[in-house]
Amino acid sequence: MSNEHTVKSYEEELQFLKDSLIKMGSLTESQLSDAMDAVIKVDKDSIDKIIKSDEEINKFRSKIDTQIMNLLVKRAPMAIDLRETISSLKISQDLERIGDLSKSNAKKVKPLPLDLPDELLGNLKRLGELVIKQLTDVLDSYVNKNFDKAKEVWEKDEQVDDLTYIAMESVIDFLSKDKKNLDFSTHLIFATKNLERAGDHITNIAETVCYLVKGEYLKGSRPKGKVIQE
Amino acid sequence: MNNIKIKSKNLNVYYGDKQALFDVNLDLNEKEVTALIGPSGCGKSTFIRCINRMNDVIDICKVTGNIEMDGMNINDKDLDVVSLRERVGMVFQKPNPFPKSIYDNISYGPKIHGKGETKSELNQIVENSLKKSALWEEVKDRLDEPGTSLSGGQQQRLCIARAISVNPEVILMDEPCSALDPIATAKIEELIDELKKTYTIVIVTHSMAQAVRVSQKTGFFHLGKLIEVGKTEKIFKNPDNKMTQDYITGRFG
Repeated sequence: MSNEHTVKSYEEELQFLKDSLIKMGSLTESQLSDAMDAVIKVDKDSIDKIIKSDEEINKFRSKIDTQIMNLLVKRAPMAIDLRETISSLKISQDLERIGDLSKSNAKKVKPLPLDLPDELLGNLKRLGELVIKQLTDVLDSYVNKNFDKAKEVWEKDEQVDDLTYIAMESVIDFLSKDKKNLDFSTHLIFATKNLERAGDHITNIAETVCYLVKGEYLKGSRPKGKVIQE
Repeated sequence: MNNIKIKSKNLNVYYGDKQALFDVNLDLNEKEVTALIGPSGCGKSTFIRCINRMNDVIDICKVTGNIEMDGMNINDKDLDVVSLRERVGMVFQKPNPFPKSIYDNISYGPKIHGKGETKSELNQIVENSLKKSALWEEVKDRLDEPGTSLSGGQQQRLCIARAISVNPEVILMDEPCSALDPIATAKIEELIDELKKTYTIVIVTHSMAQAVRVSQKTGFFHLGKLIEVGKTEKIFKNPDNKMTQDYITGRFG
């Protein structure tokens, strides 16, 4: 346990920043999960709520930006405090992007027919569950300053890539059966791609957590799955 | 990496019964700025005072262990301290010009060290020293005015000019900006950047931001011990020692 700052208000400001980021993280997590549910259940009623929650996430982003600017100006943070401050800036950017992708997925629910077959959605659902789990894990690694857990998330993105490939294949198979499916299948392809991109932002967060904890960047390139290589 | 200019090995300093430095092993690289940081009374000034034997003037002070400059034992009792101080200049916390003219402040050192035998040689030394300390343009028309008539920042640059007038190899700076405003501080920092091309510089500072800005290497002292030394960037982004981290982040309790 580290000592507290001599200046109490500095300690409070840093804690406030961490709290804001944790809240933003948990909001992003719910939104990602809600957007996923909406796609799988073709739940058109929840679209507005998900879009609205993105506004909340964006508000957190600007609030965190202000907190960071104030910390930099007032405290000129050093060492772990500097890494904490800079990491918060980077993580909040990635969370905001994940929020945008969830919003985009929610918007894709509108044109979907209500009777989508299970074989079409099964792989997408598995992909969504994995990405949500990755986000939960990376946020846990941030809260607990757990380097190993963050690295695990980073490595596991390979599985996200592989599942993306599989989910894409299911949609394309379905599409090739009947051209009438073209319109909404395209939306499903984009939704799949959005999840893969959210996964990339999660690996960015994992890299940032590793830097935050150890002060050095992960060496080597991240293991990449099928979709990326092809 | 530059050559090692000053090397201390198991350096201990005692003021009477009180030990002020404990087995300090610290290498200072040539033509580089080394910053020494740490809370008041941690031994950083005591350390730099070993480099030009300033501790000699304190009767109860005893120094053991080894400190070398270019392989020469600084603590050698037969060493000519005057010639050592010609090679190692010092600038103090408060600007302390002699109560003499600007010109005489600079020419005094070269004169006593037997440099600048003719008037024109001395003129040249004064001009060069003031130019190197970025003061020439401001004082060239008033060299006969008292050094004390200058502003605080100018006085400190005058002291730097005085230190470099004898062409030293090392410049020790003990909190050189603590009495200066931000602009005067910025000018000194700019000057340090320039001076490091020619001289090896050691600066004691209480300002972390200043240490980051001016130095390439930083040493953290606590209670007479050198706790950690390393590249400045590493020390301020990701120090190895928890005590260093607690100090630079303002957690020292």
